[in-house]
Amino acid sequence: MITYVARRVLASVPTLWGVATVVFVMARLLPGDPARVIAGVLASPEDVERIRQSMGLDKPLLVQYGTFLGSLLRLNLGVSAHTNAPVVEEIGSRLPYTIELAMVALVLAVTVGLLAGVAAAIRRNTMLDLLISSFSVFGVSMPVYWLGLMMIIVFAIDFHLLPAAGADDPASILMPAVTLALFSLGLIARMTRSSMLEVLGQDYVRTARAKGAPFRSVVFRHALRNALLPIMTVIGLQFGALLGGAVVTETVFAWPGVGRLLIDSIFFRDYPVVQGLVLMFGTTFVVINLLVDLLYAYVDPRIHYT
Amino acid sequence: MSKRFLALLSALLVLSACGGGGTGGATKQGDKLTIAIGPDPDTLDPMRQTTTTIQNIVSMVVETFVFVDPDGKYKPLLATSWQTAADGMSWTFTLKSGVKFSDGTPFNAAAAKANFDRVLTAGNTCPLCGAFRGVQTIDAVDDTHLRLNLKQPIAPLLGLMTEVTFGFLSPLTIAKGTDAFKDQEKPVGTGPYLLTDRVKGDHVTLTRNDQYWGAKPSYKTQMFKIVPEAASREALVRAGQADVILLPPASDIPALQADKTLKVILAPGDRTIFLAFNQSAKGNPLLQKPEVRRALNYAVNKELIVKSVLFGAASPMDAPMASSLFGYCKTGGPYPYDVTKAKQMLADAGASNLSIKFIAPTGRYIQDFQAAQAIANDLTAAGVKVDGPKTSDWPTYLGTINVPPASSSVDLHLLGWAPGFLDASQAMTQFQSSQWPSAGLATSYYKNAEVDSLLAKANSESDPAARQADYCSASKLIWNDAPWIFLWVQRFPMVTTAKVTGVQAIPNESFYTVYASPA
Repeated sequence: MITYVARRVLASVPTLWGVATVVFVMARLLPGDPARVIAGVLASPEDVERIRQSMGLDKPLLVQYGTFLGSLLRLNLGVSAHTNAPVVEEIGSRLPYTIELAMVALVLAVTVGLLAGVAAAIRRNTMLDLLISSFSVFGVSMPVYWLGLMMIIVFAIDFHLLPAAGADDPASILMPAVTLALFSLGLIARMTRSSMLEVLGQDYVRTARAKGAPFRSVVFRHALRNALLPIMTVIGLQFGALLGGAVVTETVFAWPGVGRLLIDSIFFRDYPVVQGLVLMFGTTFVVINLLVDLLYAYVDPRIHYT
Repeated sequence: MSKRFLALLSALLVLSACGGGGTGGATKQGDKLTIAIGPDPDTLDPMRQTTTTIQNIVSMVVETFVFVDPDGKYKPLLATSWQTAADGMSWTFTLKSGVKFSDGTPFNAAAAKANFDRVLTAGNTCPLCGAFRGVQTIDAVDDTHLRLNLKQPIAPLLGLMTEVTFGFLSPLTIAKGTDAFKDQEKPVGTGPYLLTDRVKGDHVTLTRNDQYWGAKPSYKTQMFKIVPEAASREALVRAGQADVILLPPASDIPALQADKTLKVILAPGDRTIFLAFNQSAKGNPLLQKPEVRRALNYAVNKELIVKSVLFGAASPMDAPMASSLFGYCKTGGPYPYDVTKAKQMLADAGASNLSIKFIAPTGRYIQDFQAAQAIANDLTAAGVKVDGPKTSDWPTYLGTINVPPASSSVDLHLLGWAPGFLDASQAMTQFQSSQWPSAGLATSYYKNAEVDSLLAKANSESDPAARQADYCSASKLIWNDAPWIFLWVQRFPMVTTAKVTGVQAIPNESFYTVYASPA
């Protein structure tokens, strides 16, 4: 087990190096002059040049790449060209908001999604199944931007129930979390339904029923546990996506998370922050994938890692 | 029952008394004013910032020598008077005495000098320093007199002194060191408010400075909520969760105006929106003919587009600069919309089969791309073959147009230009051939030797009347040369709830909420 984890961690090094290289190159392939964008249109050429030098952009590309990798090895992500604050500080001040939002959304998506999926599977081809399936399709296909604004109009403007935007009220998280959860919820519900349907037809489920096991135990202990593997993969991927992909939700609800930071940084061509964030998202995915793989062994004792 | 009735009656009497007193006496005290803005401040350091909204916030904390009032007039603030030497080579400012920074340090000539020294220090980033770099030395003559000695006369110096870039931080803040200017991120000034809280990406909170030397504001705190999405800002003010919002979605302006619980302010601005012709040798040769460029000015229906695409949030230009600037004069009416005339003029100039490549940004100015689509339609109707409008994100867009003439690749592009202070000098850099990219952002590559010499003269002239006359002559030449399709001067839309009064704007896209109060 420990050797397996160690091997996986080691194997992630080239992956992350690849991510670092790709984001380094892609940031520089974007058209536009970062120094001019950051200095603004009224700045003099001298001031633009000063910013260019402070970003190290006057040096050859290979030198820039070397400096970037060198600082990475020392776990130094550099300084934001736009705000002059260390990248770690920039990300650190935003990350707690994103984690909070992603966690609440995930808990919501997993509990409701799993239950709805199970319910739809055991009441297959009934009104309930139809209702749940339609709702899942709705969740997966509704544009977040539209849905978010509709919720704001109903709950903030019409009924004065919830804060329309921002993060300064404890109730602020409700609307962004629900909006964000809906896509994952729909996906998890659909995945659970189809995976459960497959398992419910298996011999061992019939056996469990035949021996008189209580219905609840058949569904949750025999069937769901076996149906869980593909669902877990989806949940893991969704959590990664929630951590990095809440850009639109964060913008509509003015939630100060890292998704908005990434967009702002791209629009200012703030290379160090873009690089830092993409690397962080990459690392998150690697870690989540590892955790999901380890969880497989826990859920399915037939799986062993050596 | 009757007791309750009496109580109600007396409450009503008190209320009406308050309402009546509002105009005559003291304004009501308020607890918190919430203002939703779009951009997240990159820095609150007056020297390093580049964004008008950020300047607005910082100038509530950090004050300048001179202040622009909502009528666009220069008023004394931390300087009580100023004098320029006869040769224009130095300016002496008399400082207001008895003013203290909020950390208790006295404001005096030495403190002012420390700030000016800081912005001029080689290696310090000061993107908006611009013409101020023409200052040679700074003398603190005595405690209340400061003299700026210049390399050459700087005519718009007083205008520069209104910019928060040249505002005054406490010398203690400056002395804390320059390591990434971290301490200057929490500016300590002499202003009516103190910076008390900031959560990046979420809000900036200012608290009333009870030691302020001038009139005390009404609201105890003013909170700037950062809400990048215009529709979400609109939702906040509709839900009563923000008292003031900047820049609502333009298409909702009519609906907001119809709402009795809200007030829409379409404040005059100083940002000219225009279509720059590429007049470089690399561009379409037909566009080097002034007749062709004038013809296209007749081809665009500016009034209709302002009305139906911008929902009234602009006024058509009648000069190459906004009317709020010093140096403005009316240069003859706008080119009226006349498609027949345009077609005829194009035919006369041998440009009946003119074909142009046209680009416009999206989301940078009010309804920019939508307006560009309407314009392309108008140009097509005048017989021009229009390739576009194409659009891209702002850095890409800027990278496309901000290139030396030999690398230029489009014939026509939409741009907005707003000087930082209300003077023609910065506005007119658009028509100076010395400001062609990469030196500046005069992206139409326009050159008229007479305009160049008039502008150079106006930039160093100390007699305001002569300056005004030079700018006026230059404007007339430019208007006739038509280096742009002159479009409109953008207004600055704000929305407030009816519960707030006294929200004002300064005609350089700035809001002024210092003396706002509950209605």
